[in-house]
Amino acid sequence: MSAQINRRDFLKFSLVGSSLFLAGKTPAPSWPLFSSPPLSEGAELSWVEARYYEKLPDREIKCQLCPRFCQLGDKERGFCGVRENKDGRYYTLVYGKVASLNVDPIEKKPFFHFLPGSQALSLATAGCNLSCRFCQNWEISQMRPEQVRNINLPPEAVVTTAENQGCPVIAYTYSEPVIFYEFMYDTSLLARRKGLKNVVVSAGYINPQPLADLLKVVEAVKIDLKAFNQDFYHQYVRGELQPVLETIKQIAGSPVWLEIVYLVIPTLNDNPEEIRKMCRWLKTEIGPDYPLHFSRFHPMYLIKNLPPTPVSTLEKLRQIALEEGLHYVYVGNVPGHPGESTYCPNCGKLIIERYGYTINKIEISKGKCRFCGQKIAGVWS
Amino acid sequence: MFKSRVAIVSSKNAFTADNLPDPRVVLRLIRKGLELLAGQAAAEEYILSLIPPGSNLGLKINTIGRRALSTLPETAVAIGLWLGKTLGQEGRVVIWDRTNEELKDTGYKLSTSPETLRIFGTDNRGVGYQTDPVIHRNIGSLFSRIQAEMVNYSISLAILKDHGLAGVTAGLKNYFGAIHNPNKYHDTHCDPYVAELFDCPLVKNKHRLTIIDALKVQYHRGPSYHPQWAEKVQKFILSADPVAADVVGWKLIEELRARKGLPSLKEEGREPAYLFTAERLGLGQAQLENIEILEEEV
Repeated sequence: MSAQINRRDFLKFSLVGSSLFLAGKTPAPSWPLFSSPPLSEGAELSWVEARYYEKLPDREIKCQLCPRFCQLGDKERGFCGVRENKDGRYYTLVYGKVASLNVDPIEKKPFFHFLPGSQALSLATAGCNLSCRFCQNWEISQMRPEQVRNINLPPEAVVTTAENQGCPVIAYTYSEPVIFYEFMYDTSLLARRKGLKNVVVSAGYINPQPLADLLKVVEAVKIDLKAFNQDFYHQYVRGELQPVLETIKQIAGSPVWLEIVYLVIPTLNDNPEEIRKMCRWLKTEIGPDYPLHFSRFHPMYLIKNLPPTPVSTLEKLRQIALEEGLHYVYVGNVPGHPGESTYCPNCGKLIIERYGYTINKIEISKGKCRFCGQKIAGVWS
Repeated sequence: MFKSRVAIVSSKNAFTADNLPDPRVVLRLIRKGLELLAGQAAAEEYILSLIPPGSNLGLKINTIGRRALSTLPETAVAIGLWLGKTLGQEGRVVIWDRTNEELKDTGYKLSTSPETLRIFGTDNRGVGYQTDPVIHRNIGSLFSRIQAEMVNYSISLAILKDHGLAGVTAGLKNYFGAIHNPNKYHDTHCDPYVAELFDCPLVKNKHRLTIIDALKVQYHRGPSYHPQWAEKVQKFILSADPVAADVVGWKLIEELRARKGLPSLKEEGREPAYLFTAERLGLGQAQLENIEILEEEV
């Protein structure tokens, strides 16, 4: 599809992109970008050589980026739809090809323990290495780059845009940043040199080496843990659970901040006993201090026959996680719910009050609870 | 037991001196194949028994291999023009695939005029994919508006190739080019996805005929083109049974592999299991004993 877009088109396009991520009735306090820097139009694919692949005989290649290890002949694309073998060399087709671009509050990612209240220049390209039947962003994630509108926004332009918009953070988000790894990595490196922070919103389906390299250039990662059940991953995600668990452990073992989101889908992944097992695993493997968000599902994409998650289910699962000793457990996509706010794990007092993506008050000073001095895990400045 | 009929037609002169399919020979082969399927009737009568005159007909081709290994215009245009004449109006036939670029790279001259044979890709301006995904068994995809809205009937004019993941790609798998996300359906040897995609009403209810282009067959290391494992076979396989046609194509690939001393697809652990899934879904016959093969050289 041609990407002949003008400013008005891009505004519309960005609004569409933005609206994809509205989960509740409360509009997100985010705005689409349609001005500085001048956005060049570009439908052409990027054809930048990919990293993490092995050349095989007869012009075949084996991708090493994610646990799929796609083995591809000439002119074939991987599962992600955005990486292609051309004459025995493997290319990313989406380097600098941005399909969605917005300024969002960091809480929308959600990151609740990472620079609360800051704005994040948020971007995505087309494509994903999973195929979740409930994908909330399928209009870009389940598409090839030719099937969406792209703008040319190379790493330098991303960083300049973030600076011009007063965003201290760049978020790689919406679709699946793993599949635009090279673009994300190079942008992160540049952003870091300019004093900006980089955060990644991912399903965590990535191999250990590229993840290790990425963790050297980003400050925080949010992982969507889709279920604690291999059958669910197989049937509804088209992936494997174990690599995601390994990713979670690897991030927790690094200096990078981690938060975990669990989208609760009625009847499919809301079994309380399974959630209890997951919480025990999290506490044992990574400790109690990484936030866990139970988010509300809304019918979308290929699962439209289920209702939104009852709030009572989210409350029940949150209670289970707290019982299991996790310190920071949230209810997501329910604006105004008390479970959106942060409570001190020691004195129990409200220390960050949120409404939707808005921060009403923060009672944390130098990373500690103002009431009792308890250290609160996170990145606060 | 009802047997599905499959025609295999061949010629020693299917290629010109330039190594291109000879459109006149192609047409003779196709007509002969249709006559074999029809029994007593002429090729035109047989087509009209499948596709009413005045229908909008899609000829889904496969151009992913570009000029080296695709349904070439020398083949598809000859068939398309003849079908247009048979159905009463050239412009009611559209030769199509995923993208204009692939079509052009394969040598097609694009045309959207309703007065002549139309040739364009799903990404042509004003075409695109439907906006709501079709959900059917394990399939969740946006369909090309060509397949979904523009044509009433469909012929899969596929190229026959070995396929590293699917085992074989032919008439059924050709419809992967009718959806926006075929890359999501290559796990587990494309099974059950190839069969389940065909089972979607937008395909199953419109498909009338499979024509497998086996003029040049990639019998090993496909679907990419490797000349050392591509053979000029100079055949077409035709059937109204989409599963039987592909099974016969598979058999042909196995024969070529055996002749070249290569292991069978089963021995390589990649026999096209989706064909048996397709049979279980009632889409056609996957057992050779249930297929009547009529073979003739032209």
